[in-house]
Amino acid sequence: MEDAAVITKDMKISKMLSSYPQTMEVLIKASPYFKKLENKILRKALAGRVTVEQAASIAGVDIYSLLYELNKSINNSIECKNIISEEMQNEETVKQKPGILGKIKSDKIHRLDVRPILKSGVDPFQNIMAAVKEIKDDEILLLINSFEPIPLYSVLGKKGFEHWTEKENDLFRIYFYKNKEVVQDENPSKGKTPSKEIDYEKVIELDVRELVPPEPMIKILEALSQVDENTVLLVHHHREPMMLYPKLEERGYEAVTNKIEENYFKVVITKKRNT
Amino acid sequence: MIQSESIVSAYAPPFKIISKYFIAAMASFVILNFLLLINYSSISGHHFQPKILSINHIATLGWITMIIFGAMFQLVPVVLETKLFSEKLAEVQFWIYLPGVIGLPYCFWIFDTGINMTLSAILLNLAMFIFSFNIILTMKSVKNWNVTGWYLAAAIFYLIVTAIAGLLLAINLWTPYIKLSHLQYLNLHAHIAFIGWISMVIMGVSFKLIPMFTLSHGYTLTNAKWAFWIINFGLFGISATMLFENTAFPYYIFTGLIVLGIIFFLLQIHIIFKNRIRKKFDIGIKFSSVAYIMLGLTTVLGTFIAFVDYESIINLTLVYGYMIIFGYISMLIVGQMYKIVPFLVWYHKYSSKVGLEPVPMLKDMFNEKFAYVEFYLMLTAVFGSLYSLTFRSEIGLLISFSLMLISSIIFLFNMITIFRK
Repeated sequence: MEDAAVITKDMKISKMLSSYPQTMEVLIKASPYFKKLENKILRKALAGRVTVEQAASIAGVDIYSLLYELNKSINNSIECKNIISEEMQNEETVKQKPGILGKIKSDKIHRLDVRPILKSGVDPFQNIMAAVKEIKDDEILLLINSFEPIPLYSVLGKKGFEHWTEKENDLFRIYFYKNKEVVQDENPSKGKTPSKEIDYEKVIELDVRELVPPEPMIKILEALSQVDENTVLLVHHHREPMMLYPKLEERGYEAVTNKIEENYFKVVITKKRNT
Repeated sequence: MIQSESIVSAYAPPFKIISKYFIAAMASFVILNFLLLINYSSISGHHFQPKILSINHIATLGWITMIIFGAMFQLVPVVLETKLFSEKLAEVQFWIYLPGVIGLPYCFWIFDTGINMTLSAILLNLAMFIFSFNIILTMKSVKNWNVTGWYLAAAIFYLIVTAIAGLLLAINLWTPYIKLSHLQYLNLHAHIAFIGWISMVIMGVSFKLIPMFTLSHGYTLTNAKWAFWIINFGLFGISATMLFENTAFPYYIFTGLIVLGIIFFLLQIHIIFKNRIRKKFDIGIKFSSVAYIMLGLTTVLGTFIAFVDYESIINLTLVYGYMIIFGYISMLIVGQMYKIVPFLVWYHKYSSKVGLEPVPMLKDMFNEKFAYVEFYLMLTAVFGSLYSLTFRSEIGLLISFSLMLISSIIFLFNMITIFRK
């Protein structure tokens, strides 16, 4: 038998589409929601973070029949069925709607409808992250979307948010809320998981090459307020900022400097992980 | 936690130690200008006079060298991209250096050439050895050597040579043993001090600071490298010839090399200025650029002196010395201090607050109008003094030295304002 090319539920959609372009058709056939992926910009912005399983959930189709169709489109191996039945056994139990969502006062709920943003062809990620920053511990973010934003679950999960999703025809209502007990429980286990697993979702670029000291330092330190755990601050500098390092350290950030050429250094600044 | 705290302090300049050196140096500058003024009528004739020697050592040891010590402790992490080996040694060094830097000029002043002068010289030597030890061990951890690093390493070598030569001269005044002329050794001591120690530091640091302050790039440091090798070759040559008698011819050759090296240096500085993005000159850069021009003029005069019997022309060596100390070195130090000190204080007091609360900008740290007054006073004083020394005008010296004193007080005032900001 030839190369065992198999699409699993953990495979990234972007990888699948670039390796097997024919699967695009299968996706669209399974659900019209996937039509968005034909838009290259949206595909790059959305599919890069999504697995086949998450995509199936987004489209509201059965993951196992989708996997079967996808694998059928790339080879007709019988093995697929085995993989699928194995994976079927790992299914999760259905969750109950969390109690606090019923009790919450309406003024504690922040609504964000990202459908108009999506229509204009822009990834609403930045808007969502901005909205999340406003959310206090006892408040809830209600996100309204035309598809289920699965990647957000893990991104916001790292920030201590739980989620509850309601589907109503073509509309998804996702509630993000902080569960204090869970946040506390998560902290000790955080130390065990390697920090590299966290994806950086956002890059802020800053060019300080035309500034004299200490303006580069001022600009960088001021930009730190926008740098969270999933953000990379990329600074274009004309020298290695030795005196900046202690100041970053003080505020819980770290930097890696890469010399590109004489008088051009790229400084990558990230927030330190709690270990 | 403990480890991360040590990283925090690693590259941050040791503010308290640097401040001590800077303030002691700036006070020396005011004191030396005061002493010049009250002795204005005796500043003439041969340079080997107690009061001139005393004032000269306040200038070189108190004003110039202490500024360099402080500046090196601040700039080494930035320039060599490593951390200072020991802050404690820098502190110890200060307290050993201080009695020496007071003692030696005092001994010259009252011309006590006995054991007290030698003891002062020993203290100064000890402090300079500690400094060199500290910087050499710092340099051992440098990963990326650059031209500035070469210059600073060479400067350390010449500092030690100058210090030992100075100690030997002090001992010779106490119990004469030098077979050749004392003045010839003095000449060596002075040239190694000014070209080897002070100018090597100034040149090396200039290649880093001037581009940093004017945002200049896109040039090569070829001229800086040429200047380095030529000047060092010349200095070695001159040092060697000084140990023998009747060495006029090689002396001219090596003097010529040093002059050539300085020309390469000035050419490099010119290129750096030409490539700058910041076109506007602020007060610090104004002082500095006048200083570089004065270095050029001093070099012309120095070349002339090398080829004439300078001792037969009255006041010529005084004019030369004044040009070096005030026109070139002091102008440059004042200029660089207006760039370095505001940053030092700002970094120490405000950098942790950026983005969290309003912080002052560098130009808000001192009164720039006062600095401009100081600039024009100092410029007038330099040319007035040179004119008055050349044409032996006592009243001219009185006025010029007064202006210089006022300008140094304004400088001290501005600097203290910054430190208290």
